[in-house]
Amino acid sequence: MKAWLFLLTLGLAGALAAPVELKINLRVGDQPLQFGQTYQTPQGQRYQIELLRFYISEVALVRPDGREVRADGLVLAEFKREAPTQGVSVIKMDVPAGQYRGIRFNVGVPRELNHLDAGTQQMPLGVNSGMYWAWNPGYIFYRLEGVALLPEGKQKWIIHMGTDAFRIPVRLQDLQTRRVQINIPPAGGSITLNLDVARAFQPGPGGAFVDWRKQSLRQLHGLSPETSLLMSVVYFNMQTAFSLAN
Amino acid sequence: MQGWRVGWLGLLLLGAGLLAFYFWPRPKPAAAQAEPAPAAHPTSPRILFAERTVPVPDDNPQTPAKVELGQRLFYDPRLSKDGKVACASCHKPEFAFSDGGKPVSTGIFGRQGSRNAPSLTNVAFRRHLFWEGRSPRLELQAVGPLTAHDEMGMEPEELAQRLGAIPEYAKAFQEVFGEPPTLKTTAYAIAAFERTLLSYNSPFDRYQAGDDKAMSEAALRGMEIFFSEKGDCFHCHVGPEFTDDEPRNTALYTVYKDIGLARATGRDEDVGKFKTPTLRNVALTAPYMHDGSIQTLREAVQHYNQGGQPNLNADALIRPLGLTEAEVDDLVAFLRSLTDESFGTNPAFLPP
Repeated sequence: MKAWLFLLTLGLAGALAAPVELKINLRVGDQPLQFGQTYQTPQGQRYQIELLRFYISEVALVRPDGREVRADGLVLAEFKREAPTQGVSVIKMDVPAGQYRGIRFNVGVPRELNHLDAGTQQMPLGVNSGMYWAWNPGYIFYRLEGVALLPEGKQKWIIHMGTDAFRIPVRLQDLQTRRVQINIPPAGGSITLNLDVARAFQPGPGGAFVDWRKQSLRQLHGLSPETSLLMSVVYFNMQTAFSLAN
Repeated sequence: MQGWRVGWLGLLLLGAGLLAFYFWPRPKPAAAQAEPAPAAHPTSPRILFAERTVPVPDDNPQTPAKVELGQRLFYDPRLSKDGKVACASCHKPEFAFSDGGKPVSTGIFGRQGSRNAPSLTNVAFRRHLFWEGRSPRLELQAVGPLTAHDEMGMEPEELAQRLGAIPEYAKAFQEVFGEPPTLKTTAYAIAAFERTLLSYNSPFDRYQAGDDKAMSEAALRGMEIFFSEKGDCFHCHVGPEFTDDEPRNTALYTVYKDIGLARATGRDEDVGKFKTPTLRNVALTAPYMHDGSIQTLREAVQHYNQGGQPNLNADALIRPLGLTEAEVDDLVAFLRSLTDESFGTNPAFLPP
């Protein structure tokens, strides 16, 4: 009888949802990002970050047996000057308390939402989101902007990643070596991620990199022939830009 | 005797009918009204394109106050980051709301765009907008230039703040939408105004309405070629708007710098596909093609006559047509007959 009671209590505790907050630290390499501070790309180009906004969707925690606990919702994470860049809460969800071996999510808008009439969608989607790509149509999934400090002066640059093909899968899980241990106590907790913003500027195949000296590369978006290779490089790099901080 | 009288009566009636047909007042272009007036003579054989019903989306009904607000916004450069670029900067009434001779338009801080500003003639009837045709309606299309880096470069919050600080706009948005200005309501008001930009008073329209003298002999010969398999223009430039609204590769280049529809779909077969533009007022909208690379109407016709460049994605309809120089001239005359001279001077469309 006591054993039954114990198991029942354990079962209930496991089934009860605990509130979990997903937090993000913005980094440049291993340093906290500061808006307005001058950084340098691996190619020696100096730059500052001014704005970062991205959608997070289809969040799921991964159980030790590989099954997933999915959390509903889609959020727009927004970072700009004069606002904190460390430990910023981006999404709140309820998941059963317990041990997890990872988290996965997508940076982007699920396909089934991406092409609905933006005139009828509400924030964080819709025309007023600042992420609606009228000519696509669909949303910008990951929007990074800043200035390059070039010999001829400051030049604004943008990276607007979108289209269904560029939804970024982030998979921070480890079932085999069990290095990733996420413990969610019944009272709830938080999961903190580091996002290395500068990962976007790592060179890709053939040494291709975001070269702001070229005017055509200061606006990376869509799939235009001049920028499609670099968009692919940034996309590739972004998949390893997130890591678990705790 | 009786039969003789009936015969004369019949002839008299027929004559009166013909006279009425020729002298009945022609309807004016639909101007700023959203819902064109009902047909005066539903049984008349005339083709009055102006009597088509303008499609209006359920979530943005046309009201006079909204159209008036949209008209003010359309001409207001304060909608752009540097305060110098309005919708009308690139869509000028005198050029059928295109950019008057410019291959590509100049946006904020002198930035150059990459495509030719299309005419807004009867834009209410387009089923797809932008050169790739990737925007489904005017409300959403308007967001593009308002926020594009090279065009007006506004952030939603910035635009809302700026317009909200202008008392006349704050009041007008409240009256029209029941809320302060936002990017969305700005785009919705502009779309409502754009739906009123109707143009159906060209020689071709007058000819269709029964005025046999409206078009020149050359234009009439050109019309025959246009609607024949020989000229083969009507397959794509179809219907009252002279467009099928479909993206096609017109073999303008062998290799496209701007890959067109493929930019959005990523598909090889969509490289170099751009939407068929309307031919209404085409004489006013030079230069031509998505990049404004063809200067004159005659050169544009010659491009099709010659069959374009070898391109794997070229539309099946693109082939050398074998038109003589005289036939090309006639086709150009027909295209010129699609010009509505009253469109760009209609006070209903000009700055309020």
